[in-house]
Amino acid sequence: MGIKGYVMNIQPFSVNDGDGIRTTVFLAGCPLRCSWCSNPEGMTMEEKVNAETGESMVSLMDADEVLAKVQKHRLFYAYSGGGITFSGGEPTMQTEFLDYLSAEIYDRGYSMAIETSGMFDWDRVAHILGRMDLIFMDLKIMDDAKHLKYTGVSNKQILENIARIKSLSTDEQGPEVVIRIPVVGGVNDDEDNIRSSAAYVKEHVPGARMELLPYHNFGTIKYKALDLPYEHPEFRTPGRAEMERLRQIVREEGVEIADYR
Amino acid sequence: MAITERVEKIRQNYVDTKPHISYERAWIYTKSFQKTEGQPNILRVAQAFNDTCNELSVNIWEGELVVGTSGEYRKCAILTPEFGWLWIDEEIETFPERGQDPYDVTEEQIEFIRKNIFPYWKGRSIEEAFLARTSEATKKIGVDTGFLDTDSKWRNGIGEISADYIDVLLPKGYGGLKAEALAYMEELDEAIPAEKEKIDFYRSMVLIADGMITLGRRYSDKASEMAAEEKDPARRAELEEIADICSRIPEQSPKTFRETVQFVWFVQLGGIIAENPLAWNPGRFDQYMYPYYKADLDAGLIDYDTALELVECLWLKYSEWAWTISKNTASFFAGYTNFENLTVGGTKVDGSDATNDISYMAIQATRECMTHQPTLSCRIHPDCPPEFMEAVTELVSTGCGFPAIHGDRTGYQMLSNLGYEPNDARDWNNCGCVVPHSRKTFEWTSAASISFAAALEFALNRGCSRLSGDQVSLPEKDPKTFESMDEIYEAWKKQFRYLVKQGVISLCTAQQIHKEIGHRPFMSACNEYCMKNGRDLVDGGAKYNIGPVFTGVGLSVTANSFAVIQKLVFEEKKCTLADIIDAIDNNWEGYEELRELALDCPKYGNDIDYVDSIARELADFFYDEVTKYDDIYGNHFVTAFMGISNYLPTGKVLGATPEGRHARDPINEGVSPYTGSDKDTCLSALRSAAKVKHDIHSGGTLLNLRLNHDLVATKRGRANLGAMLQSYFALGGFHVQFNTISNKVLADAQAHPEKYKSLLVRVAGYSAQFVNLSKEMQDSIMARNAHTEF
Repeated sequence: MGIKGYVMNIQPFSVNDGDGIRTTVFLAGCPLRCSWCSNPEGMTMEEKVNAETGESMVSLMDADEVLAKVQKHRLFYAYSGGGITFSGGEPTMQTEFLDYLSAEIYDRGYSMAIETSGMFDWDRVAHILGRMDLIFMDLKIMDDAKHLKYTGVSNKQILENIARIKSLSTDEQGPEVVIRIPVVGGVNDDEDNIRSSAAYVKEHVPGARMELLPYHNFGTIKYKALDLPYEHPEFRTPGRAEMERLRQIVREEGVEIADYR
Repeated sequence: MAITERVEKIRQNYVDTKPHISYERAWIYTKSFQKTEGQPNILRVAQAFNDTCNELSVNIWEGELVVGTSGEYRKCAILTPEFGWLWIDEEIETFPERGQDPYDVTEEQIEFIRKNIFPYWKGRSIEEAFLARTSEATKKIGVDTGFLDTDSKWRNGIGEISADYIDVLLPKGYGGLKAEALAYMEELDEAIPAEKEKIDFYRSMVLIADGMITLGRRYSDKASEMAAEEKDPARRAELEEIADICSRIPEQSPKTFRETVQFVWFVQLGGIIAENPLAWNPGRFDQYMYPYYKADLDAGLIDYDTALELVECLWLKYSEWAWTISKNTASFFAGYTNFENLTVGGTKVDGSDATNDISYMAIQATRECMTHQPTLSCRIHPDCPPEFMEAVTELVSTGCGFPAIHGDRTGYQMLSNLGYEPNDARDWNNCGCVVPHSRKTFEWTSAASISFAAALEFALNRGCSRLSGDQVSLPEKDPKTFESMDEIYEAWKKQFRYLVKQGVISLCTAQQIHKEIGHRPFMSACNEYCMKNGRDLVDGGAKYNIGPVFTGVGLSVTANSFAVIQKLVFEEKKCTLADIIDAIDNNWEGYEELRELALDCPKYGNDIDYVDSIARELADFFYDEVTKYDDIYGNHFVTAFMGISNYLPTGKVLGATPEGRHARDPINEGVSPYTGSDKDTCLSALRSAAKVKHDIHSGGTLLNLRLNHDLVATKRGRANLGAMLQSYFALGGFHVQFNTISNKVLADAQAHPEKYKSLLVRVAGYSAQFVNLSKEMQDSIMARNAHTEF
């Protein structure tokens, strides 16, 4: 009771972050600084307002208020097999807040999913992940130097955490796992990166699927709203055919492609 | 299977041809009525129908498998001067060129009609009787005003009947009906006045049955003649089969699926000739067709594809008939839409799932033919098979606006609340656009259109129209002197009560006239209890006699307006009521800032209780006020929020409204949010709409939403749509229908209509070909908010 957290947005009727009709709860705060980030308001844990419209972009919310909002759409979850998805930012950053929310939702019996960068302290977060029905974890770039350059952090902990996911499964009852690559043209869209990522997933997370999402620049509006610069003409949105080619590489490595479109 | 070459040819003709006025039927009726002066009206009507069956030209068009047409044109629009002809006389020259629903008509035809047909009907039509009996005060507010409209009940045939194929038509055939009528007559004594009336009724039944039998035989003869001259052996064989079928149908009960399709069309054609009716519903098609299909299938006489082609031929027949209506009526019912409502799915009377092969076939036929008729409705029950839901949502994803999707249980509840026996209520079918209905029923389902927003205008403008300045309603004090919300609500109620009362007066007048000269022997023959009771529908012969339905228009505009006044004037005191009155008097010109404030107030459609609760209270008041009146048969009037396309004409006559709408802009239909104001997710729009108590509005409720096509482009997306539907129905919602075509496509269709002749879109409660809609109607469809959230 009384737990508060920084919430970017609570988006009902999300249909691409897991099964069915979902409500996505975006929690602020992130250890990464991805150059292509499309939700820059979620990098830090603090209240923010849109510089142009004065609307709130991150607000401090009571956990019970969040629960009331997500619970409102329970009927739609029931009929669609949907539920709640935690996203961010990096939702595990506000560990206690997420712990409280996910425990409450678990008890209510709604399906839960999480979208995480994989950058977190495993021991503090594992029990939360255990409540999930579906885990989306990013594997942005296999090459560590490149990872550091574009995201501000090494991928060592991320790769370790990916390898630990299988420990959540007991008797095949664990969460479904989808390892995601945000494919940014000119950064990580080379065959080597995709192939070695898929091989890593195949080796360390048996049964996991992968989803390849093309980079988009919708986030530029948010940079403007936050009065932040965003100049990345070097990032390309991969074309449909290119995406299909990369997905084929993943399949060749023996990993199934997930598709929530 | 792809559409067959035959069906495609018929379809192309349907798409490319403008309907043509035919006066054959009107001329035969006129001659017949001249001969039967002095006889009881019911016999005159029945005789005129019988004469028409004997004299109407018989045409079998190229490639047809299902035959029968209402005149000399393949796409025919017929005239029914006995209901109303003044409007035809006034408007007929403009038919070919008018913006909404034009018809071709030649100068020779116009001359003939004026010389030979209209003079007889002068002083005899229902329209004239209505106008003669209606006071100036009622006319001022309720004739061609857009505030209150009842004219479809005194200018046109009534329709709004669901033929009873199950208990009456298919098992008996018209031969059986005739025998039944004769047998009843045997028992009656002409010397007893009440029995004399019944004898007249049964004599009319015999005339109707004989007419239908003759019509079938004439088609049989025609087909034989054509077969004799036909060079192509394949077509000759088809014509011979048609001749064979029509030698028995519709006199006898059909034996095969193909005979049944022909039978159903003859019944439909009979109704068209009799009344040129609105909402002449084929009803639960999958339920009565399936036994014939199954029997043929088991006997190896038919396969799915053959049956589908026949069904598609029938769909084109439903669509080739064009309803002939006035310019005013066409603005309410845009798109040549005659509402031949055909229902599939739902539950059987025993509660089990009712879907069968024919349910899927009907959906497939609609998808392949892309015709605007039949008005396809689906009943969805809580345990609806996923395959059926997928078929339904897949049809939605084509963007054609079909089917209308209905909650099975709410429909049941709506009829239960009208006093139906449980098993009859369970067997409901859809009528017109979104009216839960039954084949055992007589009901004027679309009797009055009443504008909530007009009542608001009168309340806030001393009882005058803001645009014309005329005093059309009850006087009211200076709006700037209202001191509380309660006072404003009371003023609205006073005006709304007056509108209801004037509607009641109009409809009781119309009912009385129909009772005198509007007998409906053809439709009565399709109703089990009329035959049992020996009484015409207009004499209360049906099992269920339900009061006329008022359909409310402008609910969300009015609720939003009250919310603005409450918030800005009385709560936040950001402006005075006088400011708002001045602003809407000036159509917001010079008051742009105030308009921004008004637009920022809570709007219905976003799941905000602040305003949704106002909508519900207005709807409840509507119910309480309307249902306290009884019609001439002693039945309570009924409420609905069904909408049709009435949000355009009802908006055109109104000045600006407090929630930010400009003068003459459309208002809103049914329980739909105001165009573009449902800015939250479509889940919120559904939740807002479900806050209205649907089940008490037994005349039906309508919700239109636009969905971005991407949302339903994948199977997953369609499954989510199915879940949304089930959720809405679980919340008590009754109907929802979607447009899923992008504005980009619509804009292109506006610019290049020739490329989009067959593009069907949802109007309201029905779909029509986009290019057949007037420019303003097209614009208003494009303005509806598309839900695109991800």
